[in-house]
Order: sequence, then C-alpha cells, then structure tokens
Amino acid sequence: MASISPLERHAFLLRRLHSLTGIAPIGLFLVSHLLTNSSIVWGLMDSRKAVHGHGGVATFQHEVDFIHSIPFLLIIEVFGLWLPIAFHAALGVYYARSGKANTARYAYQSNWRYRLQRISGYVGILFIFYHVATLRWGWTFLVPGGATWSGEAAASTMALALQGAETGITGAGLAVSIAYMLGVSLLVFHFANGLWTAAITWGVTVSAPAQRRWGFVCAGIGAGMMLMAWSAVIGFATLDVKEARGTEQSLQTGHTPGPQIAETLPQLMPAAASGGH
Amino acid sequence: MTSTHTQAHASAAARKAAANRVNAKPGRKVFVRILRCDGPGQPSRWETFSVTIERGANVISCLQQIAANPITSDGTRSTPVVWDSGCLEEVCGACTMVINGKVRQSCSCLIDDHAPTEGDTITLEPMSKFPVVRDLWVDRSRLFHNLKRVKAWVPIDGTYALGPGPSESAESQEQRYVMSTCMSCGCCLEACPQFNVEPDPAAWDTAFVGAHALNQARLFNQHETGRRMKGERLDALMGTGGVNDCGNAQNCVKVCPKLIPLTESIAVIGRATTIHAFARWFSGK
Ligand code: SF4
Ligand code: SF4
Ligand code: FES
Repeated sequence: MASISPLERHAFLLRRLHSLTGIAPIGLFLVSHLLTNSSIVWGLMDSRKAVHGHGGVATFQHEVDFIHSIPFLLIIEVFGLWLPIAFHAALGVYYARSGKANTARYAYQSNWRYRLQRISGYVGILFIFYHVATLRWGWTFLVPGGATWSGEAAASTMALALQGAETGITGAGLAVSIAYMLGVSLLVFHFANGLWTAAITWGVTVSAPAQRRWGFVCAGIGAGMMLMAWSAVIGFATLDVKEARGTEQSLQTGHTPGPQIAETLPQLMPAAASGGH
Repeated sequence: MTSTHTQAHASAAARKAAANRVNAKPGRKVFVRILRCDGPGQPSRWETFSVTIERGANVISCLQQIAANPITSDGTRSTPVVWDSGCLEEVCGACTMVINGKVRQSCSCLIDDHAPTEGDTITLEPMSKFPVVRDLWVDRSRLFHNLKRVKAWVPIDGTYALGPGPSESAESQEQRYVMSTCMSCGCCLEACPQFNVEPDPAAWDTAFVGAHALNQARLFNQHETGRRMKGERLDALMGTGGVNDCGNAQNCVKVCPKLIPLTESIAVIGRATTIHAFARWFSGK
C-alpha cells in the first residue's frame, strides 16, 4: 500500500471525534446559548425582573452578566468552543464532499434529512462566522446601522444589530433578522438530526423501531430548541430599543437585588404571597 | 421484525402496481425508452422502441422482443439491446437496472404495473454506479471486491479436517437467514448517496464499502465459525471507506429487494466497532 495520510491512519478516531464534538461541547453549548438568548421572551414571566422595566431585558442582562463572570472565559471560549467548532466544520466539509445527493430520484424523508444535514452544515458555518464576527469580534461594517454589541447593554445592542436602527426595523435589518431565523433553524435541525444519526454511528440505537423511537425523541428536542431559537430572534427583532435601554440603565443604577425584591414581591405576586404553605 | 420502513414503502408501491394491473389491457403498445451505450467509454444515447404487450409481460420479455426486431419507434434499424440476466426469478441479481428512475430487478418488473395504458412509456437505464459493459449490462466487480474487503466468508480452509463446527441457536439462525438472502444485486449501492463512481480500482479499498458489505460483515461476525475473523472485519470497517462513511440516508434499506434490514446491520457494525475500538485502546497492542 502506498503512503497513508494521517487523515486515513486515524480515520476512525477522527470520525468519532467529529460525532462527539457535535454533541459535546458544540451541541450542549447550543442548548445553553438558546436558553440564554430566549430569556428575552421567557424572562417576561419573571415578575421580579419586571421591577426594572422589561423583564426579558433584565433577565437577559442577568444571564449575560453571569457568563461574563466566569473566570478564564476567553480560554474556555477558544478551547471549548471555537476550536471544536472549527474542527467539526473542517472535517464536516471534508466528509460531506464524498457524498452525492440523490433526492430527485429517491425522495425518501431520511434521504432529504441526509441532504439537509449537509446543506445546514454549510449554511451553519457561514452563519456562525457572521454571528461571531459581528457580535464578538466587532466587525461592525457587516452590521446594518453599524451597531456594536456590548455586554453592558446586552439586549438593546443585540436588538440594534438585528433591527438596523433605533427607530425600528429597517430593510437591511429585516434581511439580517430573516437570515438569523434561517441560520438558527438550520443549526437546530443540524443538531437534532445529528443526535439521531450519532445514535446509529455509535451503535446505541440498532433496530429500526429503536431508531424510530429515538427519532421521535430527537424531533421533540429539536422542536423545543426551535421554539427557543425563534423566540430569541423574534424577541430581539421586535424589541423596543429605547425601552430596553431604560431597563438596562435602571439595572445599572440603584440595583441592589436582595431587599428590593423582597419588598416588591408581595405586590407583584399576590397569589404567591398569600397562598404560601 | 425487519424494517417497518421497508414494508410501508413496499406496500405503497405495491398498491399502485396492483391498481394498474387491473386496468392494463393485453395487446396494447407501450414505448420502451432505453439509455444505450456501445461499450466502455463510449457516449450514451436514448433509443425508443414500440413493443406489443402480452399478458404478464415483464421488462426482460420486452427486451427479447426488441432483440428479435431491433427497429426503433421512428422506424430506424438499430442493434439488439444488451442486458444481463440469469435466474429470471429475482434471486441472482444480474438483471438489476434503473427502471423509471428507480433501481430494481428487471425480470420481476411487470409492464402492467408501470405502463398500464396504450402509449405509456417505460424508461430503462443501466445502473449509474458501475461501469457500463454495454447498454444495460454493467460490471459489478467492485461490489464483489468489497465483499473481499470485509472477508465475507467462513475460515475453514486448511491442511486437516477441523471436525464439526459449533451449533447455532435457532434464534440466531432466524436473524441471519434474512441477511444471507442478499443476491449481490447492487440496488443498495445504486441508491446510496455515499457510494459513488470510482473508475480507478486502486481507489476501491478506501472508497465506501456499501451497505451490502456491511450486512455481510454482520452475517459472518454472527456465524459461530465466521466470528473468528470478527476482529479483522472490524479493523477493515474502521478505516477509510468503512462503516463511518455511511451518511444514514437509509435509501439502501428502502430499495433492497430482499427486505434485508440493512440499516440495522449498519448500526450493529457501528456498535461493534465502538466496542472494538475501546477494547483495542485498553487491552490491545
Ligand atoms: S444508510 Fe448508509 S449505506 Fe444506506 S443508503 Fe444511506 S448512506 Fe448508503
Ligand atoms: S443487500 Fe439487498 S440491495 Fe444490497 S446487494 Fe444485497 S440484495 Fe441487493
Ligand atoms: S435475472 Fe436473476 S434477479 Fe433478475
């Protein structure tokens, strides 16, 4: 046999690492990231946060502050996130090139998912790059209206980056918001479908009924994540930037959580206060 | 307990075919459109022939009519169409071709099911994943080469008698029976998006083995004597072109004429390689 490339020598290890990195850390991060970002909607249900104005804005700020309080954040980001994503993406493109989609002739649902898994991978790479470059690395020339995302005013600057102007969504802002909607939806699909195929790859689900059952579980996980993803994008794309800024200012000034919340709690949550047991 | 997908798919197609069969009138004329090619490396061209359909006609009987009278529907004299076949009862796999866009055996393909009305057209193409020998006849050497890659046999050759082999449980026999019905037809490879044309035989060893080989590896890994080579089979399937090259499109299981639970076999090999890799990591060399 002629010379073997390292890619071939470690074929099995690389394939399984590719599968593994898709679930952890990348998939787990995606879940937590969507949970954080959809707090712009589910935060509205937290009445304690509403004392500062918009409950979603306050909750999202709280979540962002927590993440920024994690020590060695940059190191975690680089080694726990960016490198695994780069690895998964590079190998994914390399692997995807060995296939030739044939959904035109064999239009089975599983064959469509095979094809969509590859399309969502390609689009996902572009989307993640845009997302990180504009919001994390500050490539503001790619942002409509040129907004810079700031951890101190997390929700208002995020809304600005999606909407393009303080006065409401612009044409360019709409385009970016739609691109976000598409990007996150494809990534959620990629993760949920990847979770389904990983179980076959590793040999966890073997029989056809087992694969079907796990398919329903993955679809459920995907639907839940889709809900979070859409709430996040729609939440920020429709957020009133000025109101969000007001809430953020209220959080920065005179914000001492403990007693203040204790005082306001009974008025805001009469049911909870009176119905204690 | 085989694939429920396969059965659901088969019954949907079967229902349509049965409905067509009721309406089909014998003596009607049907067009047979064929993708022809004079030999390896030659360009392909379409030719259409008009054929009178008798009751129970199948694709092969139409090809025989065309061979006897190779005049195209526009009156031009052509050459007899070449195809491969053997058993004529869907057990040898030789007559596999792409009929109306889907891969299947031509001997068991009834014209009534697919072209029930006067003037209907039925389209025949050679399989696209194997080199064409001539017209509808392809060279499936790579399929057999890939069975060698996974050592799809039982090791009994030697210089002395080995005595009777170990007995096999009825349950295992039942499981393995359906796997053993593979006729090496190539349908699963033709429909697989991960199994693609590889003209250079030197590259066959690192290109995807295909669902049929993965299923045969499972068949022989589970055989009481065949399992002695399980490690070698798994080593081969852990490399480039092995089980990990499957992209889980699951077309293979839907087109397999023998209803072999191919995706189950793929997952069994996936599990076996996972275990094999850990075993090798902790206790191997
Ligand atoms: S499941 Fe794997 S072997 Fe079967 S068609 Fe899909 S990619 Fe090919
Ligand atoms: S596994 Fe099925 S489709 Fe594939 S070669 Fe065997 S019989 Fe044909
Ligand atoms: S001739 Fe043997 S399967 Fe058709």
